[in-house]
Amino acid sequence: MRYLTFALGKGRLVKSTMELLEKCGIQCEEVTDKDTRKLIFTNEELKLRFFLAKGPDVPTYVENGAADIGIVGEDTILEEERNVYEVLDLGFGKCRMCVAGPPQAKELLSHHAMIRVASKYPNIAKNYFYNKKNQTVDIIKLNGSVELGPIVGLSDVIVDIVETGSTLKANGLEVLEEICPLSARVIVNPVSMQMENERIRKIVADMKKALMSE
Amino acid sequence: MSKELVHTPEGVRDVYGRESYERSTVKHKIKEIMYRYGYENILTPTFEFFDVFAKEISQASARDLYKFFDNEGNTLVLRPDFTPSVARCIAKYFMEDTEPVRICYSGNIFINTHRLQGKLREHTQMGAELMCDGSVNADAEMIAMMIESIRATGLTDFKVTIGDADYFKGIIEEAGIDEDTEDQLREYLSGRNYSALEDYLHQLVKDGKIESKFADILIHMPDFTTADELEEGAADLTNTRSRSSIERLKNLYHLLDVYGAADNVSFDLAMLSEYNYYTGVMFRAYTYGVGDAIAKGGRYDNLLSKFGKDAPAIGYMVDLEYLMSALYNQKIDIPYSQEPDVVTYDESDYEQKLAMVQNKRAQGYYIVLKHK
Repeated sequence: MRYLTFALGKGRLVKSTMELLEKCGIQCEEVTDKDTRKLIFTNEELKLRFFLAKGPDVPTYVENGAADIGIVGEDTILEEERNVYEVLDLGFGKCRMCVAGPPQAKELLSHHAMIRVASKYPNIAKNYFYNKKNQTVDIIKLNGSVELGPIVGLSDVIVDIVETGSTLKANGLEVLEEICPLSARVIVNPVSMQMENERIRKIVADMKKALMSE
Repeated sequence: MSKELVHTPEGVRDVYGRESYERSTVKHKIKEIMYRYGYENILTPTFEFFDVFAKEISQASARDLYKFFDNEGNTLVLRPDFTPSVARCIAKYFMEDTEPVRICYSGNIFINTHRLQGKLREHTQMGAELMCDGSVNADAEMIAMMIESIRATGLTDFKVTIGDADYFKGIIEEAGIDEDTEDQLREYLSGRNYSALEDYLHQLVKDGKIESKFADILIHMPDFTTADELEEGAADLTNTRSRSSIERLKNLYHLLDVYGAADNVSFDLAMLSEYNYYTGVMFRAYTYGVGDAIAKGGRYDNLLSKFGKDAPAIGYMVDLEYLMSALYNQKIDIPYSQEPDVVTYDESDYEQKLAMVQNKRAQGYYIVLKHK
Protein backbone atom coordinates (compact mmCIF):
# COMPACT_ATOMS: atom_id res chain seq x y z
CA MET A 1 0.00 0.00 0.00
CA ARG A 2 1.18 3.51 -0.79
CA TYR A 3 1.62 6.15 1.90
CA LEU A 4 -1.07 8.79 2.07
CA THR A 5 0.49 12.11 3.00
CA PHE A 6 -1.18 14.82 5.08
CA ALA A 7 0.03 18.42 5.05
CA LEU A 8 -1.10 20.28 8.17
CA GLY A 9 -1.07 24.05 8.47
CA LYS A 10 1.16 25.00 11.39
CA GLY A 11 -0.39 26.74 14.37
CA ARG A 12 -3.70 26.72 16.11
CA LEU A 13 -5.33 24.14 13.83
CA VAL A 14 -2.86 21.31 14.50
CA LYS A 15 -4.11 20.32 17.94
CA SER A 16 -7.79 20.22 17.01
CA THR A 17 -6.97 18.34 13.81
CA MET A 18 -4.99 15.64 15.58
CA GLU A 19 -7.73 15.28 18.21
CA LEU A 20 -10.26 14.82 15.46
CA LEU A 21 -8.09 12.27 13.63
CA GLU A 22 -7.62 10.39 16.90
CA LYS A 23 -11.40 10.02 17.13
CA CYS A 24 -11.26 8.46 13.66
CA GLY A 25 -8.72 5.93 14.89
CA ILE A 26 -5.76 7.70 13.30
CA GLN A 27 -2.95 8.34 15.73
CA CYS A 28 0.35 10.09 15.40
CA GLU A 29 1.37 11.59 18.74
CA GLU A 30 4.70 12.90 17.50
CA VAL A 31 2.96 15.59 15.45
CA THR A 32 1.99 17.58 18.51
CA ASP A 33 5.34 17.05 20.25
CA LYS A 34 6.86 20.53 20.32
CA ASP A 35 10.41 19.36 21.08
CA THR A 36 10.89 17.13 18.10
CA ARG A 37 13.16 18.10 15.25
CA LYS A 38 11.62 15.69 12.82
CA LEU A 39 9.81 17.11 9.81
CA ILE A 40 7.85 14.05 8.77
CA PHE A 41 5.87 11.76 11.06
CA THR A 42 4.68 8.32 10.09
CA ASN A 43 1.92 5.98 11.15
CA GLU A 44 3.28 2.71 9.77
CA GLU A 45 0.22 0.71 10.64
CA LEU A 46 -2.16 2.75 8.48
CA LYS A 47 0.54 3.85 6.04
CA LEU A 48 0.01 7.52 6.70
CA ARG A 49 2.53 10.34 6.79
CA PHE A 50 2.12 13.78 8.28
CA PHE A 51 4.09 16.97 7.99
CA LEU A 52 3.62 20.50 9.22
CA ALA A 53 3.93 23.39 6.81
CA LYS A 54 3.26 27.09 6.85
CA GLY A 55 -0.44 27.70 6.12
CA PRO A 56 -0.09 29.31 2.67
CA ASP A 57 2.21 26.45 1.58
CA VAL A 58 -0.34 23.72 2.31
CA PRO A 59 -2.41 24.27 -0.88
CA THR A 60 0.86 24.33 -2.87
CA TYR A 61 1.93 20.91 -1.54
CA VAL A 62 -1.50 19.51 -2.22
CA GLU A 63 -1.88 20.98 -5.70
CA ASN A 64 1.44 19.51 -6.80
CA GLY A 65 0.63 16.13 -5.29
CA ALA A 66 3.47 16.31 -2.75
CA ALA A 67 0.71 15.83 -0.17
CA ASP A 68 -2.54 13.99 -0.87
CA ILE A 69 -4.61 15.67 1.82
CA GLY A 70 -4.21 19.10 3.40
CA ILE A 71 -5.78 20.72 6.42
CA VAL A 72 -5.73 24.48 6.39
CA GLY A 73 -7.77 27.62 7.06
CA GLU A 74 -10.21 28.71 4.39
CA ASP A 75 -8.50 32.11 4.26
CA THR A 76 -5.46 30.43 2.71
CA ILE A 77 -7.54 28.47 0.22
CA LEU A 78 -9.33 31.63 -0.93
CA GLU A 79 -6.09 33.56 -1.17
CA GLU A 80 -4.07 30.95 -3.03
CA GLU A 81 -6.79 29.91 -5.53
CA ARG A 82 -5.17 26.52 -6.21
CA ASN A 83 -6.57 23.63 -8.17
CA VAL A 84 -7.56 21.38 -5.27
CA TYR A 85 -10.74 19.68 -4.09
CA GLU A 86 -12.18 21.24 -0.97
CA VAL A 87 -13.99 18.31 0.58
CA LEU A 88 -14.94 19.11 4.16
CA ASP A 89 -15.61 22.00 6.48
CA LEU A 90 -14.12 21.04 9.84
CA GLY A 91 -16.04 23.70 11.69
CA PHE A 92 -13.21 24.57 14.07
CA GLY A 93 -10.74 27.41 13.81
CA LYS A 94 -13.70 29.70 13.21
CA CYS A 95 -13.02 33.36 12.50
CA ARG A 96 -14.01 36.06 10.02
CA MET A 97 -12.30 37.84 7.15
CA CYS A 98 -12.98 41.52 7.73
CA VAL A 99 -12.27 45.04 6.60
CA ALA A 100 -11.07 46.87 9.70
CA GLY A 101 -9.83 50.35 10.47
CA PRO A 102 -10.32 53.35 12.73
CA PRO A 103 -14.03 54.22 13.19
CA GLN A 104 -13.75 57.34 11.02
CA ALA A 105 -12.63 55.19 8.05
CA LYS A 106 -16.15 53.74 7.75
CA GLU A 107 -17.07 56.81 5.78
CA LEU A 108 -14.46 55.93 3.11
CA LEU A 109 -16.11 52.56 2.42
CA SER A 110 -19.44 54.09 1.46
CA HIS A 111 -18.00 55.88 -1.60
CA HIS A 112 -16.25 54.54 -4.62
CA ALA A 113 -13.21 56.74 -4.17
CA MET A 114 -9.81 55.08 -4.16
CA ILE A 115 -8.51 53.99 -0.78
CA ARG A 116 -5.37 52.22 0.39
CA VAL A 117 -5.79 48.74 1.85
CA ALA A 118 -3.06 46.85 3.69
CA SER A 119 -3.37 43.08 3.88
CA LYS A 120 -1.68 39.70 4.10
CA TYR A 121 -4.39 38.60 1.67
CA PRO A 122 -4.06 40.75 -1.47
CA ASN A 123 -6.20 38.43 -3.64
CA ILE A 124 -9.09 38.28 -1.19
CA ALA A 125 -8.91 42.05 -0.69
CA LYS A 126 -8.79 42.74 -4.41
CA ASN A 127 -11.64 40.37 -5.16
CA TYR A 128 -13.83 41.90 -2.44
CA PHE A 129 -13.28 45.53 -3.37
CA TYR A 130 -13.26 45.09 -7.16
CA ASN A 131 -15.98 42.51 -7.65
CA LYS A 132 -18.32 42.95 -4.67
CA LYS A 133 -18.02 46.64 -3.76
CA ASN A 134 -16.87 48.09 -7.08
CA GLN A 135 -14.43 50.30 -5.27
CA THR A 136 -10.98 51.09 -6.63
CA VAL A 137 -8.28 50.29 -4.13
CA ASP A 138 -4.53 50.41 -3.83
CA ILE A 139 -3.46 47.19 -2.16
CA ILE A 140 -0.36 47.06 -0.02
CA LYS A 141 0.90 43.59 0.79
CA LEU A 142 2.16 43.18 4.37
CA ASN A 143 3.45 40.01 6.00
CA GLY A 144 2.28 40.46 9.58
CA SER A 145 1.06 42.96 12.20
CA VAL A 146 -1.23 44.36 9.56
CA GLU A 147 -2.99 46.46 12.23
CA LEU A 148 -0.04 48.83 12.07
CA GLY A 149 -1.13 49.98 8.60
CA PRO A 150 -3.81 52.51 9.58
CA ILE A 151 -2.05 53.43 12.83
CA VAL A 152 1.12 54.65 11.18
CA GLY A 153 -0.68 56.00 8.13
CA LEU A 154 0.48 53.41 5.61
CA SER A 155 -3.09 52.57 4.65
CA ASP A 156 -6.68 53.69 5.28
CA VAL A 157 -8.04 50.27 6.22
CA ILE A 158 -6.86 46.67 6.48
CA VAL A 159 -8.26 43.33 5.34
CA ASP A 160 -7.43 40.60 7.84
CA ILE A 161 -8.68 37.66 9.88
CA VAL A 162 -10.55 38.62 13.04
CA GLU A 163 -10.97 36.02 15.74
CA THR A 164 -12.04 37.89 18.90
CA GLY A 165 -11.34 41.45 17.84
CA SER A 166 -9.20 42.15 20.90
CA THR A 167 -6.07 43.05 18.92
CA LEU A 168 -8.07 45.53 16.90
CA LYS A 169 -9.64 47.01 19.99
CA ALA A 170 -6.33 47.40 21.79
CA ASN A 171 -5.13 49.46 18.85
CA GLY A 172 -8.18 51.66 18.47
CA LEU A 173 -9.47 49.84 15.38
CA GLU A 174 -12.78 48.10 14.74
CA VAL A 175 -14.44 45.80 12.25
CA LEU A 176 -15.98 47.94 9.52
CA GLU A 177 -17.30 45.26 7.19
CA GLU A 178 -17.34 41.49 7.22
CA ILE A 179 -16.16 39.79 4.03
CA CYS A 180 -16.87 36.16 4.89
CA PRO A 181 -16.82 33.65 7.74
CA LEU A 182 -13.86 31.24 7.83
CA SER A 183 -13.03 27.85 9.29
CA ALA A 184 -10.61 24.97 8.82
CA ARG A 185 -11.03 22.88 5.68
CA VAL A 186 -9.85 19.55 4.31
CA ILE A 187 -8.43 19.78 0.81
CA VAL A 188 -7.48 16.90 -1.49
CA ASN A 189 -5.35 16.61 -4.61
CA PRO A 190 -7.61 15.75 -7.59
CA VAL A 191 -5.32 12.97 -8.81
CA SER A 192 -5.07 11.39 -5.34
CA MET A 193 -8.85 11.54 -5.12
CA GLN A 194 -9.01 9.26 -8.17
CA MET A 195 -6.05 7.02 -7.43
CA GLU A 196 -6.82 6.49 -3.71
CA ASN A 197 -10.54 7.12 -3.81
CA GLU A 198 -11.62 4.51 -1.27
CA ARG A 199 -9.08 5.38 1.40
CA ILE A 200 -9.52 9.12 1.10
CA ARG A 201 -13.31 8.97 1.07
CA LYS A 202 -13.25 6.76 4.14
CA ILE A 203 -11.02 9.17 6.04
CA VAL A 204 -13.20 12.13 5.05
CA ALA A 205 -16.40 10.25 5.97
CA ASP A 206 -14.91 9.23 9.33
CA MET A 207 -13.91 12.81 10.04
CA LYS A 208 -17.39 13.99 9.18
CA LYS A 209 -18.92 11.39 11.46
CA ALA A 210 -16.61 12.38 14.31
CA LEU A 211 -17.56 16.03 13.82
CA MET A 212 -21.27 15.25 13.89
CA SER A 213 -20.97 13.32 17.13
CA GLU A 214 -19.24 16.21 18.90
CA MET B 1 29.65 36.57 -22.68
CA SER B 2 27.51 37.95 -19.92
CA LYS B 3 26.53 35.42 -17.33
CA GLU B 4 22.79 36.11 -17.25
CA LEU B 5 22.36 34.93 -20.81
CA VAL B 6 22.86 31.26 -19.94
CA HIS B 7 19.56 31.13 -18.07
CA THR B 8 16.16 30.51 -19.62
CA PRO B 9 13.19 32.66 -18.53
CA GLU B 10 11.09 31.32 -15.68
CA GLY B 11 8.73 28.51 -16.71
CA VAL B 12 10.63 27.25 -19.75
CA ARG B 13 13.64 24.97 -19.91
CA ASP B 14 16.13 23.15 -22.08
CA VAL B 15 15.70 19.42 -22.66
CA TYR B 16 18.94 17.75 -23.70
CA GLY B 17 20.99 14.57 -23.61
CA ARG B 18 19.37 11.39 -22.46
CA GLU B 19 16.12 13.07 -21.46
CA SER B 20 15.75 14.47 -24.92
CA TYR B 21 16.23 11.03 -26.46
CA GLU B 22 13.75 9.46 -24.08
CA ARG B 23 11.24 12.15 -24.79
CA SER B 24 11.41 11.54 -28.51
CA THR B 25 11.17 7.78 -27.93
CA VAL B 26 7.95 8.31 -25.98
CA LYS B 27 6.64 10.74 -28.59
CA HIS B 28 7.40 8.26 -31.32
CA LYS B 29 5.52 5.48 -29.53
CA ILE B 30 2.43 7.63 -29.06
CA LYS B 31 2.52 8.88 -32.63
CA GLU B 32 2.81 5.29 -33.85
CA ILE B 33 -0.48 4.42 -32.12
CA MET B 34 -2.20 7.41 -33.71
CA TYR B 35 -0.91 6.42 -37.16
CA ARG B 36 -2.10 2.85 -36.64
CA TYR B 37 -5.60 4.21 -36.20
CA GLY B 38 -5.23 6.08 -39.47
CA TYR B 39 -4.86 9.60 -38.07
CA GLU B 40 -3.16 12.16 -40.26
CA ASN B 41 -0.69 14.65 -38.93
CA ILE B 42 -1.50 18.35 -38.94
CA LEU B 43 0.57 21.43 -38.22
CA THR B 44 -1.12 24.63 -37.11
CA PRO B 45 0.65 27.92 -36.36
CA THR B 46 2.17 28.58 -32.94
CA PHE B 47 0.23 31.83 -32.65
CA GLU B 48 -3.25 32.71 -33.81
CA PHE B 49 -5.85 35.44 -33.42
CA PHE B 50 -7.02 35.82 -29.85
CA ASP B 51 -10.62 35.30 -30.97
CA VAL B 52 -9.93 31.69 -31.95
CA PHE B 53 -9.51 30.89 -28.25
CA ALA B 54 -11.39 33.72 -26.55
CA LYS B 55 -14.89 32.27 -26.45
CA GLU B 56 -13.88 28.82 -25.39
CA ILE B 57 -11.99 29.60 -22.24
CA SER B 58 -13.00 31.22 -18.99
CA GLN B 59 -12.05 34.79 -18.23
CA ALA B 60 -9.59 33.71 -15.59
CA SER B 61 -7.63 31.62 -18.06
CA ALA B 62 -7.86 34.36 -20.71
CA ARG B 63 -5.57 36.32 -18.42
CA ASP B 64 -3.03 33.49 -18.53
CA LEU B 65 -2.50 33.71 -22.28
CA TYR B 66 0.60 35.16 -23.90
CA LYS B 67 -0.88 38.04 -25.88
CA PHE B 68 0.74 40.44 -28.29
CA PHE B 69 -0.16 42.62 -31.27
CA ASP B 70 0.71 42.42 -34.93
CA ASN B 71 1.46 45.65 -36.77
CA GLU B 72 -2.16 46.03 -37.83
CA GLY B 73 -3.30 46.07 -34.24
CA ASN B 74 -4.81 42.55 -34.10
CA THR B 75 -4.45 40.73 -30.81
CA LEU B 76 -2.53 37.49 -31.20
CA VAL B 77 -1.91 34.74 -28.66
CA LEU B 78 0.51 31.87 -28.37
CA ARG B 79 -1.78 28.82 -28.48
CA PRO B 80 -2.81 27.65 -25.00
CA ASP B 81 -4.55 24.56 -26.42
CA PHE B 82 -4.62 22.78 -29.78
CA THR B 83 -8.29 21.88 -30.11
CA PRO B 84 -9.67 25.30 -31.19
CA SER B 85 -6.81 25.68 -33.71
CA VAL B 86 -7.44 22.27 -35.20
CA ALA B 87 -11.19 22.91 -35.28
CA ARG B 88 -10.62 26.20 -37.10
CA CYS B 89 -8.34 24.51 -39.59
CA ILE B 90 -10.69 21.60 -40.29
CA ALA B 91 -13.73 23.88 -40.57
CA LYS B 92 -11.82 25.85 -43.21
CA TYR B 93 -10.40 23.05 -45.35
CA PHE B 94 -13.17 20.46 -45.00
CA MET B 95 -16.12 22.86 -45.08
CA GLU B 96 -18.13 20.75 -47.56
CA ASP B 97 -17.05 17.29 -46.40
CA THR B 98 -19.37 15.15 -44.32
CA GLU B 99 -17.01 12.17 -44.04
CA PRO B 100 -15.27 11.74 -40.68
CA VAL B 101 -11.88 13.49 -40.47
CA ARG B 102 -9.09 11.95 -38.38
CA ILE B 103 -6.33 14.32 -37.37
CA CYS B 104 -3.42 14.12 -34.94
CA TYR B 105 -0.92 16.72 -33.81
CA SER B 106 2.03 17.25 -31.55
CA GLY B 107 3.54 20.50 -30.44
CA ASN B 108 3.93 22.99 -27.66
CA ILE B 109 1.33 25.06 -25.85
CA PHE B 110 1.99 28.15 -23.77
CA ILE B 111 0.25 29.21 -20.60
CA ASN B 112 1.43 32.18 -18.62
CA THR B 113 0.81 30.66 -15.18
CA HIS B 114 1.44 32.57 -12.00
CA ARG B 115 4.99 32.87 -10.83
CA LEU B 116 6.78 30.59 -8.42
CA GLN B 117 4.36 27.67 -8.44
CA GLY B 118 6.83 25.17 -9.83
CA LYS B 119 4.84 24.85 -13.04
CA LEU B 120 6.16 25.01 -16.55
CA ARG B 121 4.68 27.54 -18.95
CA GLU B 122 5.49 25.58 -22.07
CA HIS B 123 4.10 22.06 -22.37
CA THR B 124 4.39 19.56 -25.17
CA GLN B 125 1.04 18.03 -26.02
CA MET B 126 0.15 15.25 -28.41
CA GLY B 127 -3.40 14.70 -29.37
CA ALA B 128 -5.93 13.42 -31.85
CA GLU B 129 -9.29 14.72 -33.00
CA LEU B 130 -12.07 12.81 -34.73
CA MET B 131 -14.43 15.23 -36.46
CA CYS B 132 -17.79 14.80 -38.23
CA ASP B 133 -18.60 11.67 -36.23
CA GLY B 134 -21.04 11.97 -33.34
CA SER B 135 -21.42 8.27 -32.62
CA VAL B 136 -20.56 6.37 -29.50
CA ASN B 137 -18.13 4.40 -31.66
CA ALA B 138 -16.15 7.60 -32.10
CA ASP B 139 -16.15 8.10 -28.29
CA ALA B 140 -14.82 4.59 -27.83
CA GLU B 141 -12.16 4.98 -30.51
CA MET B 142 -10.83 8.11 -28.81
CA ILE B 143 -10.71 6.66 -25.32
CA ALA B 144 -9.22 3.37 -26.53
CA MET B 145 -6.55 5.31 -28.42
CA MET B 146 -5.78 7.38 -25.36
CA ILE B 147 -5.39 4.25 -23.24
CA GLU B 148 -3.23 2.56 -25.89
CA SER B 149 -1.03 5.64 -26.23
CA ILE B 150 -0.39 5.62 -22.49
CA ARG B 151 0.22 1.89 -22.38
CA ALA B 152 2.64 2.16 -25.30
CA THR B 153 4.93 4.29 -23.14
CA GLY B 154 5.27 1.50 -20.58
CA LEU B 155 2.99 3.03 -17.96
CA THR B 156 0.63 0.40 -16.55
CA ASP B 157 -0.60 1.74 -13.23
CA PHE B 158 -3.05 4.42 -14.32
CA LYS B 159 -6.77 5.08 -14.13
CA VAL B 160 -9.22 6.56 -16.57
CA THR B 161 -12.40 8.25 -15.40
CA ILE B 162 -15.24 9.08 -17.72
CA GLY B 163 -18.09 11.52 -17.22
CA ASP B 164 -20.72 13.15 -19.38
CA ALA B 165 -21.48 16.88 -19.43
CA ASP B 166 -25.08 16.16 -20.44
CA TYR B 167 -25.83 14.24 -17.27
CA PHE B 168 -25.54 17.28 -15.02
CA LYS B 169 -27.12 19.62 -17.58
CA GLY B 170 -30.12 17.31 -17.81
CA ILE B 171 -30.62 17.39 -14.05
CA ILE B 172 -30.39 21.18 -14.04
CA GLU B 173 -33.04 21.43 -16.76
CA GLU B 174 -35.38 18.90 -15.19
CA ALA B 175 -35.14 20.55 -11.79
CA GLY B 176 -35.61 24.02 -13.26
CA ILE B 177 -32.53 25.45 -11.57
CA ASP B 178 -31.64 29.04 -12.47
CA GLU B 179 -28.23 30.17 -13.69
CA ASP B 180 -26.90 31.65 -10.44
CA THR B 181 -27.85 28.54 -8.49
CA GLU B 182 -26.29 26.38 -11.18
CA ASP B 183 -23.02 28.32 -10.92
CA GLN B 184 -22.94 27.82 -7.18
CA LEU B 185 -23.68 24.10 -7.55
CA ARG B 186 -20.93 23.81 -10.16
CA GLU B 187 -18.47 25.48 -7.82
CA TYR B 188 -19.20 23.02 -5.00
CA LEU B 189 -19.29 20.01 -7.30
CA SER B 190 -16.11 20.80 -9.17
CA GLY B 191 -14.39 21.31 -5.80
CA ARG B 192 -15.94 18.06 -4.50
CA ASN B 193 -17.07 20.06 -1.51
CA TYR B 194 -19.85 17.69 -0.57
CA SER B 195 -20.52 19.08 2.88
CA ALA B 196 -21.09 22.60 1.57
CA LEU B 197 -23.11 21.19 -1.32
CA GLU B 198 -25.35 19.35 1.09
CA ASP B 199 -25.96 22.43 3.26
CA TYR B 200 -26.63 24.56 0.21
CA LEU B 201 -29.10 22.07 -1.26
CA HIS B 202 -30.94 21.68 2.04
CA GLN B 203 -31.33 25.44 2.14
CA LEU B 204 -32.66 25.45 -1.44
CA VAL B 205 -35.20 22.79 -0.56
CA LYS B 206 -36.25 24.76 2.51
CA ASP B 207 -36.73 27.89 0.41
CA GLY B 208 -38.83 25.89 -2.02
CA LYS B 209 -36.40 26.50 -4.87
CA ILE B 210 -35.92 22.86 -5.79
CA GLU B 211 -37.64 19.59 -5.02
CA SER B 212 -36.00 17.44 -2.39
CA LYS B 213 -35.76 14.60 -4.92
CA PHE B 214 -33.24 16.60 -6.97
CA ALA B 215 -31.32 17.63 -3.89
CA ASP B 216 -30.86 13.94 -3.09
CA ILE B 217 -29.75 13.16 -6.62
CA LEU B 218 -27.19 15.96 -6.62
CA ILE B 219 -25.81 15.03 -3.20
CA HIS B 220 -25.41 11.42 -4.22
CA MET B 221 -24.07 11.96 -7.74
CA PRO B 222 -21.93 8.87 -8.23
CA ASP B 223 -18.41 10.22 -8.57
CA PHE B 224 -16.48 6.99 -8.61
CA THR B 225 -18.45 4.14 -9.93
CA THR B 226 -18.20 1.00 -12.03
CA ALA B 227 -20.16 0.45 -15.22
CA ASP B 228 -22.57 -1.89 -13.44
CA GLU B 229 -23.59 0.84 -11.02
CA LEU B 230 -24.20 3.45 -13.72
CA GLU B 231 -27.88 2.57 -13.88
CA GLU B 232 -28.41 3.94 -10.37
CA GLY B 233 -27.49 7.40 -11.65
CA ALA B 234 -30.57 7.44 -13.87
CA ALA B 235 -32.96 5.71 -11.48
CA ASP B 236 -34.87 8.78 -10.29
CA LEU B 237 -34.53 10.93 -13.38
CA THR B 238 -37.12 11.31 -16.09
CA ASN B 239 -35.34 13.75 -18.43
CA THR B 240 -34.06 12.24 -21.65
CA ARG B 241 -30.81 14.20 -21.60
CA SER B 242 -29.49 12.60 -18.41
CA ARG B 243 -30.98 9.21 -19.17
CA SER B 244 -29.51 9.01 -22.65
CA SER B 245 -26.13 10.08 -21.30
CA ILE B 246 -26.23 7.10 -18.94
CA GLU B 247 -27.26 4.81 -21.80
CA ARG B 248 -24.42 6.13 -23.87
CA LEU B 249 -21.86 5.60 -21.12
CA LYS B 250 -23.03 2.01 -20.76
CA ASN B 251 -22.63 1.42 -24.49
CA LEU B 252 -19.27 3.11 -24.37
CA TYR B 253 -18.10 0.80 -21.63
CA HIS B 254 -19.19 -2.21 -23.62
CA LEU B 255 -17.22 -1.01 -26.65
CA LEU B 256 -14.13 -0.31 -24.54
CA ASP B 257 -14.40 -3.85 -23.29
CA VAL B 258 -14.34 -5.06 -26.89
CA TYR B 259 -11.24 -2.89 -27.46
CA GLY B 260 -9.65 -4.61 -24.46
CA ALA B 261 -9.35 -1.20 -22.79
CA ALA B 262 -11.94 -1.45 -20.03
CA ASP B 263 -9.64 -2.52 -17.16
CA ASN B 264 -8.60 0.88 -15.95
CA VAL B 265 -11.94 2.60 -16.51
CA SER B 266 -14.36 4.00 -13.94
CA PHE B 267 -17.13 6.59 -14.19
CA ASP B 268 -17.47 9.96 -12.54
CA LEU B 269 -20.86 11.54 -13.09
CA ALA B 270 -19.90 14.58 -11.03
CA MET B 271 -17.19 15.48 -13.54
CA LEU B 272 -18.04 18.89 -14.96
CA SER B 273 -16.59 20.36 -18.10
CA GLU B 274 -13.67 22.65 -17.35
CA TYR B 275 -13.56 24.11 -20.84
CA ASN B 276 -16.79 25.65 -22.01
CA TYR B 277 -16.64 23.67 -25.22
CA TYR B 278 -17.21 20.15 -23.91
CA THR B 279 -20.72 18.96 -24.66
CA GLY B 280 -20.92 15.21 -24.03
CA VAL B 281 -18.54 12.54 -22.84
CA MET B 282 -15.40 13.74 -21.03
CA PHE B 283 -12.47 11.67 -19.79
CA ARG B 284 -9.19 11.99 -17.92
CA ALA B 285 -6.28 9.69 -17.19
CA TYR B 286 -4.52 9.79 -13.83
CA THR B 287 -1.49 8.09 -12.39
CA TYR B 288 0.81 8.25 -9.35
CA GLY B 289 3.61 10.74 -9.11
CA VAL B 290 2.07 13.79 -10.81
CA GLY B 291 -0.39 16.31 -9.46
CA ASP B 292 -2.49 16.61 -12.61
CA ALA B 293 -4.11 14.43 -15.28
CA ILE B 294 -1.58 13.00 -17.75
CA ALA B 295 -4.15 12.90 -20.54
CA LYS B 296 -7.66 14.18 -21.07
CA GLY B 297 -10.28 14.85 -23.65
CA GLY B 298 -13.94 15.04 -24.50
CA ARG B 299 -16.67 15.66 -27.01
CA TYR B 300 -17.19 19.19 -28.30
CA ASP B 301 -20.10 19.17 -30.72
CA ASN B 302 -20.57 22.96 -30.86
CA LEU B 303 -17.02 24.14 -31.41
CA LEU B 304 -16.79 23.60 -35.17
CA SER B 305 -19.98 25.57 -35.73
CA LYS B 306 -18.21 28.63 -34.28
CA PHE B 307 -15.98 28.40 -37.32
CA GLY B 308 -18.86 27.95 -39.71
CA LYS B 309 -19.09 24.17 -39.99
CA ASP B 310 -21.87 22.41 -38.15
CA ALA B 311 -20.39 19.05 -37.17
CA PRO B 312 -19.75 16.99 -34.04
CA ALA B 313 -16.22 16.21 -32.87
CA ILE B 314 -14.26 14.52 -30.12
CA GLY B 315 -10.60 14.63 -29.15
CA TYR B 316 -7.97 13.83 -26.55
CA MET B 317 -4.49 14.96 -25.73
CA VAL B 318 -1.57 13.58 -23.75
CA ASP B 319 0.45 16.09 -21.77
CA LEU B 320 4.05 15.02 -22.29
CA GLU B 321 5.34 17.09 -19.38
CA TYR B 322 3.14 15.25 -16.87
CA LEU B 323 3.54 11.90 -18.60
CA MET B 324 7.34 12.10 -18.57
CA SER B 325 7.43 13.03 -14.90
CA ALA B 326 5.11 10.10 -14.14
CA LEU B 327 7.41 7.75 -16.09
CA TYR B 328 10.49 9.03 -14.26
CA ASN B 329 8.71 9.03 -10.92
CA GLN B 330 7.58 5.44 -11.30
CA LYS B 331 11.04 4.48 -12.62
CA ILE B 332 9.66 3.05 -15.83
CA ASP B 333 12.34 1.99 -18.24
CA ILE B 334 12.25 3.90 -21.51
CA PRO B 335 14.14 2.11 -24.27
CA TYR B 336 17.13 4.18 -25.21
CA SER B 337 17.58 2.78 -28.65
CA GLN B 338 19.35 5.61 -30.36
CA GLU B 339 22.49 5.62 -28.21
CA PRO B 340 25.25 5.83 -30.82
CA ASP B 341 28.31 3.62 -31.06
CA VAL B 342 31.66 5.34 -30.81
CA VAL B 343 34.47 4.76 -33.30
CA THR B 344 37.82 6.41 -32.65
CA TYR B 345 40.55 7.29 -35.09
CA ASP B 346 44.07 8.65 -35.05
CA GLU B 347 45.94 10.46 -37.82
CA SER B 348 47.11 7.23 -39.44
CA ASP B 349 43.75 5.50 -39.97
CA TYR B 350 41.30 8.40 -40.35
CA GLU B 351 40.35 7.80 -43.96
CA GLN B 352 40.00 4.07 -43.52
CA LYS B 353 37.77 4.50 -40.41
CA LEU B 354 35.74 7.19 -42.11
CA ALA B 355 34.97 4.92 -45.04
CA MET B 356 33.96 2.11 -42.69
CA VAL B 357 31.75 4.43 -40.62
CA GLN B 358 30.06 5.93 -43.67
CA ASN B 359 29.32 2.47 -44.93
CA LYS B 360 27.76 1.53 -41.59
CA ARG B 361 25.78 4.78 -41.37
CA ALA B 362 24.34 4.03 -44.78
CA GLN B 363 23.10 0.74 -43.35
CA GLY B 364 21.30 2.62 -40.60
CA TYR B 365 23.72 2.46 -37.66
CA TYR B 366 24.19 5.39 -35.28
CA ILE B 367 27.88 6.17 -35.01
CA VAL B 368 30.01 8.95 -33.56
CA LEU B 369 33.47 9.26 -35.14
CA LYS B 370 35.94 10.97 -32.87
CA HIS B 371 39.63 11.47 -32.26
CA LYS B 372 41.30 9.01 -29.93
